[in-house]
Amino acid sequence: MDEQTRKKNIRRTALIVGAVALAFYFGFIMLGVMRS
Amino acid sequence: MTTATVDGHAAGHDDHDHGPTKGIKRWLFSTNHKDIGTMYLIFSLVMFFVGGAMAMVIRSELAVPGLQFVHPEFFNSMTTMHALIMVFGAVMPAFVGLANWMIPLMIGAPDMALPRMNNWSFWILPVAFGILLSTLLMPGGGPASGWTMYPPLVLQTGDAFPFLIFSVHLMGISSIMGSINVIVTIINMRAPDMTLLKMPMFVWTWLITAYLLIAVMPVLAGAVTMLLTDQFFGTSFFLAAGGGDPVMFQHIFWFFGHPEVYIMILPAFGVVSEIIPTFARKKLFGHDSMVYAASCIAFLSFIVWAHHMFTVGMPLTGQLFFMFATMLIAVPTGVKIFNWIATMWRGAMTFETPMLFSLAFVFLFTIGGFSGLMLAIQPADVQYHDTYFVVAHFHYVLVPGSVFAIMAGAYYWLPKWTGHMYNEKLGKLHFWMSTIFVNITFFPQHFLGLAGMPRRIPDYSVQFADFNLISSIGAFGFGLSQLIFVFVLLTAWKGAKATDRVWEGSHGLEWTVPSPAPWHTFTTPPKARIADEAFE
Repeated sequence: MDEQTRKKNIRRTALIVGAVALAFYFGFIMLGVMRS
Repeated sequence: MTTATVDGHAAGHDDHDHGPTKGIKRWLFSTNHKDIGTMYLIFSLVMFFVGGAMAMVIRSELAVPGLQFVHPEFFNSMTTMHALIMVFGAVMPAFVGLANWMIPLMIGAPDMALPRMNNWSFWILPVAFGILLSTLLMPGGGPASGWTMYPPLVLQTGDAFPFLIFSVHLMGISSIMGSINVIVTIINMRAPDMTLLKMPMFVWTWLITAYLLIAVMPVLAGAVTMLLTDQFFGTSFFLAAGGGDPVMFQHIFWFFGHPEVYIMILPAFGVVSEIIPTFARKKLFGHDSMVYAASCIAFLSFIVWAHHMFTVGMPLTGQLFFMFATMLIAVPTGVKIFNWIATMWRGAMTFETPMLFSLAFVFLFTIGGFSGLMLAIQPADVQYHDTYFVVAHFHYVLVPGSVFAIMAGAYYWLPKWTGHMYNEKLGKLHFWMSTIFVNITFFPQHFLGLAGMPRRIPDYSVQFADFNLISSIGAFGFGLSQLIFVFVLLTAWKGAKATDRVWEGSHGLEWTVPSPAPWHTFTTPPKARIADEAFE
């Protein structure tokens, strides 16, 4: 795997994992909004 | 397992251009995984002693009945801060430190995938804990509602409240960034031939832990954000008077809180899984089944949270579900325990300090696991809930569990970090003192709990006096024993020169680089070999 592809993969994995974290954060706040 | 065919010295020496910057800048602006790992480990040790000092305050007050030294409100503050500091400041950063040091070395990567973020995720931590500790000096004192921060009690915190919330957010951000880095590194930076199932167990357990962190730290952040808006922005998420539900906080908190337990124990499983094969001079028994068991534990950790809330009241089906789901965790955990025993079976075992800590881990963590099984039984939990039995249970899991594994890992990898062998005699003394005193501290707490002594109280009935005194003596002994560890660390550079492989039975890429590990390693990916020649 060349360096360019590796960097692209690193960026993509980081963005996906970060997006999952944000989804959990806002998802659980939305759960609170809907319950209260 | 993987053995590098590349010459270890070449792996260390083919680097090149520069060493570390001189002075404070080396540490402030470091993007080097080894430097950041070192900072994490030192930070966690400092926090271990700060949290430990708070434990000494707690045990001093509880040594004899009656109010002795501190105001009850300050006592509550100590129990709260002790827990927050030990969980988020000592145990978690210690494992992140080990991960920073060892994961790139174990998978043959030159560094973590996102080194600048790595620097940031470390330096957030001292700020977070500086803020948290500063609350002790504020009007109204530090947070005193327990580390669980249940409303409405936590909303009665004085000026410390917003600082508590802010520091928890910062700890969460740091953990999330750290785990993003671990996942991205493991997924993208492995040596060419190292497939996922060939990864060492420490790397595997950290990959699973990082996914757990990604899923649950934002949940804690969401919960404390809602606390903040309830306090300052007129919302009623958890305020019954405004139509909110305080029990919902408990559900959300424990959806974070139970996986958090496994966040603190899965990397410990990984450390022990590295050490036992080394000192038994055998391959880890059932490597793949260990991976599946760890994944299974991680999955189950998401569906057991309400066992912390049996006494809150819930439908019978809920009680049954959470009871049986919790008991189910014993199965994959048992797989791990039996695999470690099978690894040792007929092995040519020796008992250096890392192995001693690992053996104590297996035995004493199992005691914590068994008391956990007792607490999982819903009708029994109604009796045990909020007693010292619970305190004994989770301290058995966290102290001779997580903390012993961290100690084991520190002794195991210390020669690789410093290039010198530590003082084995002092290491063994540290082990025996710690093991004896940890049991004197926490075992009597089982009896106190079964006799009905409630937790989080500064005073108690005279019937609990004897066991409390024994527990306090044990706690002071355990605290003093840790000074031996500090001495071992301070003199770690004075021992005999360590070889590259350090331990006779060690194997894996990290042992192919020189000791001490050079500042840059694996700048060109090692040609890893699938077969582990050392054990064939």
